[in-house]
Amino acid sequence: MPKIAIDPITRIEGHLRIEAQVDGGKVQDAWASGTMFRGIELILKNRDPRDAWAFAQRI
Amino acid sequence: MRAVENALGITIPDNARLVRNLISGIQYVQDHTIHFYHLHGLDWVDITGALKADPAKTSQLAQSISDWHNSSTVYFKGVQDKLKSFVQSGQLGLFANGYWGHPAYKLPPEADLMAVAHYLEALDWQREVIRIHAILGSKNPHAQTYLVGGMALAINPNEESTFNVDGLASLIKYADIAKEFVEKVYVPDLLAIASFYKEWTELGAGVGNYLSYGEFPNDSVSNTENLFLPRGIIFNKDLTKVYPVDPSKITEYVTHSWYEYKEGNNAAKHPWEGITNYKYTGPKPPYQFLDTNQKYSWVKSPRYEDRVMEVGPLARMLVAYAKGHPQVKAAVDGALKKLGVGPEALFSTLGRTAARGIEALVVVQMLPVWIGQLAANIKKGDYRVFDGAKWDPSSWPKEAKGFGLFEAPRGALGHWVRIKGGAIENYQCVVPSTWNASPRDAKGQRGPYEQALLGTPVAEPDKPLEILRTVHSFDPCLACAVHVTDLTTNKSIKVKAV
Repeated sequence: MPKIAIDPITRIEGHLRIEAQVDGGKVQDAWASGTMFRGIELILKNRDPRDAWAFAQRI
Repeated sequence: MRAVENALGITIPDNARLVRNLISGIQYVQDHTIHFYHLHGLDWVDITGALKADPAKTSQLAQSISDWHNSSTVYFKGVQDKLKSFVQSGQLGLFANGYWGHPAYKLPPEADLMAVAHYLEALDWQREVIRIHAILGSKNPHAQTYLVGGMALAINPNEESTFNVDGLASLIKYADIAKEFVEKVYVPDLLAIASFYKEWTELGAGVGNYLSYGEFPNDSVSNTENLFLPRGIIFNKDLTKVYPVDPSKITEYVTHSWYEYKEGNNAAKHPWEGITNYKYTGPKPPYQFLDTNQKYSWVKSPRYEDRVMEVGPLARMLVAYAKGHPQVKAAVDGALKKLGVGPEALFSTLGRTAARGIEALVVVQMLPVWIGQLAANIKKGDYRVFDGAKWDPSSWPKEAKGFGLFEAPRGALGHWVRIKGGAIENYQCVVPSTWNASPRDAKGQRGPYEQALLGTPVAEPDKPLEILRTVHSFDPCLACAVHVTDLTTNKSIKVKAV
């Protein structure tokens, strides 16, 4: 079965890759991959909890 | 905010609740509208169609669905001329990359032109209405007035330098501008476009399980039974039952994610115990395909009772609809009636897109209500917006843990925090796109995007427009860009995960 990869998916926020197996004009199986590491959790360790919102408010 | 306030046992004043509702509310309205026109619209609207449209017929079409003022033949001719000049100069700009002319585009050219005109109008409109963030949060994005215990927003109706009567008047003005556009442009366009794509009510359903934490507290944040949009779960598309949400049932897998748990690849961890031990094991870029039998994503796989859950506007609207929420029920039934379809049509790619517009309508109509409540508090002389009783860390217990559940525009968002000795010991975020974009779990269950794509038609595999429709219908937000600045050199460091 032919496999296609769309990377990056545009008009979104961030980095997303889709792989799909296409057969008979239809998607038979699909995989979604986030291709960027976030790591806000690690940045927040040992910080003042009163500051957490400033780091985490948009995720 | 809610996670830390929950851990420390803080209750915020009513004015802080209202200010936060307003900041989130206009965020919903702006996000949903931008998503519809600028992120998702061109999956349905063909720019090249707009070039062929008859401006007079476009005017007739626009006037038949709305009394929005920009609807004359001259107006649409002007938009079309502007578009033609872009094309002739070879500078498509915003519209440079698209699968134009693809056979899956079904709109008449006049609908294409109308949508393109509103795409451009929405760019200006969104800049205006988000001024509510400037008034209440100092700027957008990244509002700056959040504060553990309330908001850093001095209220005094008679002071020039505080949030005052002029501030209230501005809120009313921008809420009105927001409401008029959603009612007269976004929702009519959504229904007009949807009517040409009804086959998409039968595609892209996905997992059929929906999770909403509920949002917009009507009174105290801790009273999760009294949220404007209710909390609840729907399993297997069954709208006759809404189950309560038990946050202890949420776990995350890393079976197919580039992280390690010491308990092994098939373990699931609750966010309070969650860890972020990254370890990339994928192919070295550039590569052709990932090995999807192994780990293949930076996104973890959150599950509820081991079940895959979809989150987002559709989940919220379904939970509210199933609970008989009056405004949501009226808006959903109105849209379904206009399209001549039943509630089962909601379980689809188009349902996801429609739910976002319906929600924008329901939420934008609440903005004046919250502004009114804020004005009433101020009129009574209640200017309190911050409770500082637990601001000083000496008032905190040695150890505390808490969690905050919130509905971001894109869906259910949970933060879990453990505090020890006045500092964050552990912090875990399970964000909307973690749910929706999750890879397979230990049982091999597909994530919501993956499941929703099954059966999607692909007319031209080198131009997979239909795949974009379904993926975009979720409004993906992967890993918001993180820039780390080294304060000693002031240089921005690019974090590259290779």
